[in-house]
Amino acid sequence: MSEADMAIIKPEMMMKSYIWLETTDGSIQQVEQEIAMYCPMICHEVLQKGLGAGSSKNCAISLPQRVNPAMLSLILDYCRFHQVPGRSNKERKVHDEKFIRMDTKRLCELASAADSLQLKPLVDLSSRALARIIEGKTPEEIREIFHLPDDLTEEEKLEPLKNLMDDPRIRLLNRLYAKKRKELKEREKLKGKEVEERVDERSVDDLLSFINGKDHKVVKTSKSKKKNKKRKEHKNKVSHNLHSKQQGVQIVDETASSLGGVSNLPSMEDDIFSLKTDSEDGYVDDGMDPVLKEMLDREVEDFARRLNSSWVLSSGQERQPVHFSINGNGATRRLTAFQVMLGSLILLMVFGWQVPEFCGVTVKGNSRVRISGLTGTEGEDEWFDLSYLILNEASDPPKYDNVPADREELVGDVLSFTLLFPFELQLCISELELTLRGHKPLYAHIIELREL
Amino acid sequence: MNNLPEDCIAKILSLTSPRDVCRSSAVSRCFRSAADSDHVWNHFLPSEFPEDFRAPEGLPTKKHLFFSLVHNPLLLHGSQLSFSLERSTGNKCYMMAARALNITWGHDQRYWQWISLPDARFKEVAALKMVWWLDITGKINISLLSDNTLYAAYLVFRWNLDPYGFRQPVEASLVLAGTEHDDVQPSMVSLMQNPGSEQGQRAELRSDDWYEVQLGHFFKRRGDMGEIEMSLKETKRPFEKKGLIVHGIEIRPVLP
Repeated sequence: MSEADMAIIKPEMMMKSYIWLETTDGSIQQVEQEIAMYCPMICHEVLQKGLGAGSSKNCAISLPQRVNPAMLSLILDYCRFHQVPGRSNKERKVHDEKFIRMDTKRLCELASAADSLQLKPLVDLSSRALARIIEGKTPEEIREIFHLPDDLTEEEKLEPLKNLMDDPRIRLLNRLYAKKRKELKEREKLKGKEVEERVDERSVDDLLSFINGKDHKVVKTSKSKKKNKKRKEHKNKVSHNLHSKQQGVQIVDETASSLGGVSNLPSMEDDIFSLKTDSEDGYVDDGMDPVLKEMLDREVEDFARRLNSSWVLSSGQERQPVHFSINGNGATRRLTAFQVMLGSLILLMVFGWQVPEFCGVTVKGNSRVRISGLTGTEGEDEWFDLSYLILNEASDPPKYDNVPADREELVGDVLSFTLLFPFELQLCISELELTLRGHKPLYAHIIELREL
Repeated sequence: MNNLPEDCIAKILSLTSPRDVCRSSAVSRCFRSAADSDHVWNHFLPSEFPEDFRAPEGLPTKKHLFFSLVHNPLLLHGSQLSFSLERSTGNKCYMMAARALNITWGHDQRYWQWISLPDARFKEVAALKMVWWLDITGKINISLLSDNTLYAAYLVFRWNLDPYGFRQPVEASLVLAGTEHDDVQPSMVSLMQNPGSEQGQRAELRSDDWYEVQLGHFFKRRGDMGEIEMSLKETKRPFEKKGLIVHGIEIRPVLP
């Protein structure tokens, strides 16, 4: 080009058209037209209002509230880069990666502003960046990062899980149950009862009280053993797991009534009632909550003592076959537990995500369940002493950040955080023993065990 | 973040994973309503469902549909194919019933019996009485699967009381459409968990109390078509095999 040409072109090039934009705080600035028009919202405004719009300070285009001056300048920088047609995709990508590096607060503002200006590419970019931040974080962390209010009630936090626990194994186990039950009955006949009266009674009492809508009559087998009062050690861990009294009793009511609604039970219930003989001396029949709480405390603590305490805590559980470090109780306890099982206890077990193999009754709602069983290893099977395993609706979620990052359970993850076990489970008693195979339940307090 | 409208939050959440969205629903009220919104869960549901798919009734939201499909496989194709979703990504999983497989001599009562088991997903499973020529093949159309996913096929089985003839590894192969059978080298897999048999894939116990052994894996790209053929064979050793119970062949994404 000759100089003359350049001379002619330059002035023309100088005559860019500008658009005036006004942000909500009143400040007005002018922006090159092609840059501003890159934003669909501005473009729309200009076209809609006619040629005069934005052409001078007086009729500046007002921008939505979510666009503050700082964001506007960011957005305009973005537009300035991208509206140049000659850039390669790679260039654009590199620019975007750099562009999006900013602190979270500004990123949110940017996403908000871009959304109100309908600038889709920038919305996508900032959304993806925010998604990357959110990924893998616990709810507490997310709240912290974004300064969000913790405005959900405990119940609400637990709610999402309620509807999600519909394990297909339940249906399978339903069917297995019938078969196993038969086998058990046969074995019972073969074995000949070595009944430990206490155990039976207790279980019956438990059962009765459970059915009657009060739980906690759980006078456990531990009465026969001298318990160490290691209360303090475990109290902190487990006492907070005891749900509020009201809810505890309520749950039992719920469950009791749902039990009533379960089919296949009538014959069993008759058995149970007929089995009731002597009553326990320590039988508290009035649902006194402090007593309940204390008894549960003791049970839970005992349980925690006897089994891995991590079982109770549930947080940080690895996915592994349930493995308990109890040794040597095998033989005698086996029979006991077996009798316990046969002594018609209610087995209601709630394991949020993984269903262990038990046969039992279908229960709906949240429930307190007690389980007593066996423990030890024999051959390939591991089976467990589940006494004093107390199933409860937890009131105090374990800290989420105890959960390892590689956990796979989807709902399990949420469960370990929220602790509610909505459930509808049938559990199978496998052979003679209660085998807990598969994966460790996230959080389980099983209060009662009953074999149908 | 407080200032972001709900649909922005929903958009951001839909770019994460189902797990993260579940966690998000416990963050705060506004996050919860975004996390539970259909927009987000629609994003995780497959964009294409198999032909005879009918969403189960009574599910109020897309989130419920998602989890229903994760936990409760649906039976399609005349109850011979089960359809479910893999929960961390929403990818499609299938299991073909034994009846849908081509089992040589399967129709002959002397060799295979068809029984019903209480914990089987399908009405019938194939129980091997005795056979010399063991040849189980299944075919599935690759277009049923989710795009850009690494899949693996597993034979789901268990043993009856008295299995025989399976101590040695057997042949497993997975052939994609358009590949010549001769070009594919079958791999050796062990159905029994003998400590001695180190070569190849081994059978693993599943959480539903069946065993599975991997027959092969493949990557499904967008636009892939045709049938995949998966098979398990033992036709070379001159002795009989007994005691295998075949549930079906499951095809599911390989998780990292």
